[in-house]
Amino acid sequence: MANKIHDNSIRDEWTQKIGALNTLAKGVEALDTFRHQYTTPFRNSYDLELDWGWIELKLEEKVALLKHKEFNDQQFLNQTAYGADAQKEADTVIAKMAATTDKYEAERIHIGFRLKFKPPIMPVNVFQDTDRILGTKLMELRNIGYYDLPLAELRKVRGVRVITG
Amino acid sequence: MSISAATKAATDALAANRAPVSVNAQEVHRWLQSFTWDFEKNRTKYPTKYKMANETKEQFKLIAKEYARMESVKDERQFGSLQDVLTRVDAGNRVHPKWNETMKVVSNFLEVGEYNAIAATGMLWDSASAPEQKNGYLAQVLDEIRHTNQCGYVNYYFTKHGQDPAGHNDARRTRTIGPLWKGMKRVFSDGFISGDAVECSINLQLVGEACFTNPLIVAVTEWAAANGDEITPTVFLSIETDELRHMANGYQTVVSIANDEAASKYLNTDLNNAFWTQQKYFTPVLGMAFEYGSHFKVEPWVKTWNRWVYEDWGGIWIGRLGKYGVESPRSLRDAKKDAYWAHHDLFLIAYALWPTGFFRLTLPTAQEAEWFEANYPGWYDHYGKIYDEWRARGCEDPASGFLPLQWFMENNHQIYIDRVSQVPFCPTLSKGASTLRVHEWNGKKHSFSDEWGERQWLTEPERYECQNIWEQYEGRELSEVIAELHGVRSDGKTLIAQPHTNKDGKLWTLDDLKRIDCVFKDPLKAL
Repeated sequence: MANKIHDNSIRDEWTQKIGALNTLAKGVEALDTFRHQYTTPFRNSYDLELDWGWIELKLEEKVALLKHKEFNDQQFLNQTAYGADAQKEADTVIAKMAATTDKYEAERIHIGFRLKFKPPIMPVNVFQDTDRILGTKLMELRNIGYYDLPLAELRKVRGVRVITG
Repeated sequence: MSISAATKAATDALAANRAPVSVNAQEVHRWLQSFTWDFEKNRTKYPTKYKMANETKEQFKLIAKEYARMESVKDERQFGSLQDVLTRVDAGNRVHPKWNETMKVVSNFLEVGEYNAIAATGMLWDSASAPEQKNGYLAQVLDEIRHTNQCGYVNYYFTKHGQDPAGHNDARRTRTIGPLWKGMKRVFSDGFISGDAVECSINLQLVGEACFTNPLIVAVTEWAAANGDEITPTVFLSIETDELRHMANGYQTVVSIANDEAASKYLNTDLNNAFWTQQKYFTPVLGMAFEYGSHFKVEPWVKTWNRWVYEDWGGIWIGRLGKYGVESPRSLRDAKKDAYWAHHDLFLIAYALWPTGFFRLTLPTAQEAEWFEANYPGWYDHYGKIYDEWRARGCEDPASGFLPLQWFMENNHQIYIDRVSQVPFCPTLSKGASTLRVHEWNGKKHSFSDEWGERQWLTEPERYECQNIWEQYEGRELSEVIAELHGVRSDGKTLIAQPHTNKDGKLWTLDDLKRIDCVFKDPLKAL
């Protein structure tokens, strides 16, 4: 029998793993690895397709608690969970986005930013505004010349394998 | 001085020099305008490609006090009618049983739309910089809160005073079972509150409200009244009185960006995507709700659609915005084709998937079939014959052990889900314009039913990340999924959904489904 939606063995297994994370460094590494492996359209694996959202949420919850335990107020507002200056990290990504005119590169920058820094890794006060600036540029680039390419060309550029149609 | 002379003197003095008992509404509104702050940068929390002008006007010029006075009068009329007259005449039990089921869908779904519209207009309030424009959006926030309550109240009223309350009450608990919820959330939720703030306004106000509230909120009252329902017109027409203000807000959103050069680069693309997003769901679902969810017919959906979507909105309303560079969506012609057959295609699938709903569906009677054939020539040969076969196999009777979904499997008619709209379609049975397109990208297969949606996905695939019912329940048995996801009535075994509205007919239970052993299978896996 396939797994149930809410209570299932996959979630039980991850609850155990997450419970064993006892330092911020371990929590951050686990969350980062998980996000790259199982989330976003660029993920490496769809094995956890039905449960990734729930597991990511639980990992984020644990990292937030570990951050609260190990960071002082100053660090909490200004540093990423990796210990780097949050605004400097954000400025680097914003500069990279400002320099590009390619929509696919902009897409990788934006999704990459979320993969690496989505809270609780980066403080919300820095993350939200950076995400807005990156999203605005990405939307601008995507909408320019929206209908220029015929579908067949667009499929090629996106790199899809056409099974039918 | 006599008392009467003193009174007269005082009255004369007041007439010449009126005491300031109140502040004129327009005076307050002028005062609001003085809050125009000249931002160096309009720093909003939400991303947008557009810049809203700082001096944008707003047509209704409402202030909170006037708003509250107006709405309280409307509420008194509406709730007074419902709680007094309509209860005394037993209005809930005078509704045709088929229409009673339709209102489970319409009012529950519209409640979700109104709820998301609260957030959408709050977002626009944050994004605009002109105080008048902000004031217009703020009035809409209040409206949307009112409408959310009203839609909830319609279902509450039907539950308390009407027939078969299962599904009117607590429909949300079934939200992960059937595909109709996901498509609805694509238009009402994602469309209204995700992405560019102005694009959200275009989805909500320029398309959702200016285009589809006429068929959704006005036409539904005609169909309701024709089918004995006086509850829905009482509430929905009260809702519609506010919608004009929302259409005006959408108009002003476009006016506010008209002088920004971004408008010429992005606006028509955003409008086309918003229109296709909204119509892809509303065109088939509203047509299905009206024509298959009623016994007494008003007019063919294709005529309603042509009048309000194609001519009134696509021609006149968008035409008025032409001076700001707005063009009728380039997908309008394709949408027009959908308005003829798409709702018939959808009902075929909806009926086949009836156990996954939270309402009762009914196959067209012989009399209704005649109406369909007269208004959609060719209907019987394509759809009517199938319904006759299903009925002959006992699809309404739990003892028959027959689900129409089995018929699809037996005849190798695969049902796919469009990744972008979430609307199910069956390419081998579609009489409408749907065509199957399947792509594999980064190890995942995606199906699409039209060119416009495919382009939307190719442009921003991360927006459409989701699992459809086949992906979610692959390999699981149907009754087990329904039991886990709360699709049963209070006895814990009878399904909320049923394939008939016959009050003497037997109701299907989990055990009846289990005997059939219907297992979810993802058609994309076989490709």
